[in-house]
Amino acid sequence: MLVLGLESSAHTFGAGISDGGKILANEKAMYKIGATGMIPAEVAETHVENAEGVISAALEKAGILPSDLEGICYTAGPGMGPCLQVAQIAARALASKLKIRIVGVNHCVAHAEITREMGRLSDPIMLYVSGGNSQILALSERPFRHYSVIGETFDIGVGNMLDNFARAANLFPAWGSSVEKASAGGRYLELPYTVKGMDFSFTGLLTRATELTGKVPVNDLSYSVQETAFSELCEATERAILLKGKKEIGVCGGVAQNSRLRQMLQSMASEQGIRFGFAPNEYNADNGGMIAFAGERLLSEGISWKLGECRISQRYRVDSAYVPGG
Amino acid sequence: MKLIAKGAEACIYSLSAFGKEFVLKRRERKDYRVPELDLRLRAERTRSEARTMLRLHAIGVRVPGLIALGKFSICMEKLEGMLLKDTQKTGGIFTEVGKALALMHDNGTVHGDLTPANVMICNSLPYLIDFGLSSFTNGAEDKAMDLLLMKRAVSSRLYKSLEEAYLTNSRTGKEVILRLADVEKRGRYQNRNLE
Ligand SMILES: Nc1ncnc2c1ncn2[C@@H]1O[C@H](COP(=O)(O)OP(=O)(O)O)[C@@H](O)[C@H]1O
Ligand SMILES: [Mg+2]
Repeated sequence: MLVLGLESSAHTFGAGISDGGKILANEKAMYKIGATGMIPAEVAETHVENAEGVISAALEKAGILPSDLEGICYTAGPGMGPCLQVAQIAARALASKLKIRIVGVNHCVAHAEITREMGRLSDPIMLYVSGGNSQILALSERPFRHYSVIGETFDIGVGNMLDNFARAANLFPAWGSSVEKASAGGRYLELPYTVKGMDFSFTGLLTRATELTGKVPVNDLSYSVQETAFSELCEATERAILLKGKKEIGVCGGVAQNSRLRQMLQSMASEQGIRFGFAPNEYNADNGGMIAFAGERLLSEGISWKLGECRISQRYRVDSAYVPGG
Repeated sequence: MKLIAKGAEACIYSLSAFGKEFVLKRRERKDYRVPELDLRLRAERTRSEARTMLRLHAIGVRVPGLIALGKFSICMEKLEGMLLKDTQKTGGIFTEVGKALALMHDNGTVHGDLTPANVMICNSLPYLIDFGLSSFTNGAEDKAMDLLLMKRAVSSRLYKSLEEAYLTNSRTGKEVILRLADVEKRGRYQNRNLE
């Protein structure tokens, strides 16, 4: 089924096309983050400017016409309200014009599902690490098939922590990937480390690291922030693996692009004698391809939403979303 | 020394000396983290586990007796029995767990990882083990988390026995139970089921 997926929950407007689980196109345009961070209304405005071009590029890449589309899906949440609205409105307009079915997709489920597919995982413990979110997930069949949350951050997502630290340390761009670059050759400094069972916290770490900026070499600090935060994630994930008796680990979401985090998870998986899998980076960053992929599965099971009922929800919990298949 | 269990953090060995059986719990190195952090966490948790075991022993909470302490290892009495998670669970046992928890919390100690995998049944009585994540605090939130972990892991009937005994025996029980309701309402734990 030829399906268009639209994503605009944060700084990326993405359009992807999937057909029978194969991604034919995955185009995107990103809002350039400045020193002030993200102002939702401003980001949404950029998305509106980019939407048409990105959608056209995706159709062209897939070599299809709008009239070939058989379904449309969009990110229904979680995310920033004004941003989410852009994909929702575009999707509704297209669905009504083309008279095809439409469905909203949970952003976290889409990250996890594309990673399960591309990382060749069947029933993993999935570490979902993005800007606003950091959770340990596992598929659960009851009362309906969904990702249940086994552990999560007490406060901020690991991505936001890295971004905030980058801004405090004057790294440019003020972005998690700059922390990874700046950490090269660093030495370890002691920083607050907080894990409680399978939950973890990053605010204590961020506060202390921010206090230390300018007082210690920036590469030592970047290195230590990364090592501390990722060790917390690995420890909580390892505990989840043992508790649930799972045989696979996956990692997804924006921070899954970090090669040090992947190296640590790989090391832990090898130690436990289990498989570790992840998707190519273009699917770890926010993208429309994963929305098309997850949405196509919903539509194939006959699940769609009435045009008038196409909602968005800034706090769309991952464990309240049905996951097709099984 | 014979390896008898391997958890997320530690290896458990059994050994005999002077005609008695002991258990050695050793926190193993984790290759995924840098050595500085690895050494610090293993040492901190070993120390905190030993400190809590001594303190609980002193106030009459059933725990394995501490025999010797190393930098990353604890030698303790071996409990002959089974884990609560692998035994027939009865209301009577959960009443005893509730009493032990009340005593412990009133003393300003929280377990930090209280699940049926960290309670052993020995002569039909529960012993608490695994205090690596324990802390000394009187925070209602931390105490509520101890209850919540158990609540999520067992049937509501068994949890009820625990909670009733906890309320009757703890001075601050009421406040903790109220906070627990609060924590549960916050959503992040609404659908959490640790089975
Ligand atoms: N004192 C003891 N006597 C007998 N068995 C024990 C004792 N302490 C631990 N064990 C066994 O070892 C397992 C793991 O111990 P635990 O302290 O819970 O470590 P971990 O942090 O790895 O979970 C327990 O589930 C239990 O089976
Ligand atoms: Mg244990």
